[in-house]
Amino acid sequence: MSEVAVDRTCELLVQSLAAWRVRGGVQRARDGAIIIYEARKDIRIDPTPSEMFRWMVTIDGRKRGAISLAGVLRQVREALDPGYAAKRVRVALTPLVPY
Amino acid sequence: MIPISVLTGFLGSGKTTILGHLLRQPEFSRTAVIINEFGEVGLDHELVAASEDSFIELKTGCLCCKIRTDLAQTIQDMLQRRDEGECSPFDRIVIETSGLADPAPILQTLMTDTSIAEHVVLGGVVTTVDTMTGAATLEREDISQKQIAFADRIVLTKLDLNGPAHPLLLRRLSQLNAAAPVLSADRGKIDSQCLFSAGLYDPHVSSLDVNSWLAEDPHAHARHDADIQAYTVVRKQPIGAVTLTLFLETLAEHCGADLLRLKGIVNIAESPDRPAVIHGVQHVFHAPGWLKRWPSDDRSSRIVFITRRVPQRWVEALLEAIGAEVADVSPGHCSG
Repeated sequence: MSEVAVDRTCELLVQSLAAWRVRGGVQRARDGAIIIYEARKDIRIDPTPSEMFRWMVTIDGRKRGAISLAGVLRQVREALDPGYAAKRVRVALTPLVPY
Repeated sequence: MIPISVLTGFLGSGKTTILGHLLRQPEFSRTAVIINEFGEVGLDHELVAASEDSFIELKTGCLCCKIRTDLAQTIQDMLQRRDEGECSPFDRIVIETSGLADPAPILQTLMTDTSIAEHVVLGGVVTTVDTMTGAATLEREDISQKQIAFADRIVLTKLDLNGPAHPLLLRRLSQLNAAAPVLSADRGKIDSQCLFSAGLYDPHVSSLDVNSWLAEDPHAHARHDADIQAYTVVRKQPIGAVTLTLFLETLAEHCGADLLRLKGIVNIAESPDRPAVIHGVQHVFHAPGWLKRWPSDDRSSRIVFITRRVPQRWVEALLEAIGAEVADVSPGHCSG
């Protein structure tokens, strides 16, 4: 995974905590992981080289894989925002290009 | 006397779609249009394919608030340009309000401003109602109740997505305004004669206290919800189709009802010559539509958001992060 992708994810998490109005900070660990600290739960997000999961999210010691950024965001929000109830939505039943 | 019709309705209820259809009808060829949007960057005027005989005055900001005082001046200018032959002749004006506009001060201006009173007459108020989200919107948004209460005609939209309107919605509409006929639009198509045949606006027929609203102190009418924010996300680089899909899905998942309205023109990397038009209302997104060509030389993607407590920085960070992830997965793919 590129540094750009991890950096963008880190920035997204910073903005997400602010948007959700939940306590906590976000920082990069020396080993490349993203750490969410002083939050409702301890969260560590590792970029993984696994073919199945791009990310491994550890919340209070429990590990779960995420195949995409959307999955990471969903797990983090479910852990930190008690009022959150995800609405899964599919967009675009038609092709995304006009051909 | 030039009749002025007001087309209103809450965010995403189908006003621009109906207007676009009307302006393609021969009987609307001599129509001048004022489109009012709530946001930094106006977009609706590019989504409406006006005939050559129509022209559009665009005012960003809300007609009922900060630029309300400009309305009479705008109309005066339009009439002057017409009389001096500087624009196509027109014999009708349609004002499309922003979805958050309070109709009361707009109607008050049209009915009472002495500078235009000799030249124009209020032709009717048409309010669109999204049958998918209309009932919930009426519960949540006081302004949508006002928009219904002022209507001479109520137009139900998105029946193709949702089937017949729910009886509870129809009952609520009747409670708010029993006098207005309720019409249906089929993907924006509706008989224009039915819409704007209301004649002079009569504030005595609506069942709520319309007169008291019209009599309000113009400086004291309800302001927009302070939590509601309008902003535009602009991207110069094309956005990949996959990035856009994931972006919209994640927005809908996390914002839900707080995403009041999203609309945009997007430069899709896979379709550089035909921009995509995207629409979203709360958690409902329509499949993208495609313009035949870019409406102007500006080929940047412009997505307008009207939200409740959804920060612009979060939206931009989300788009950037998803774009980076898609680029990682698909090397060489332009993800935006």
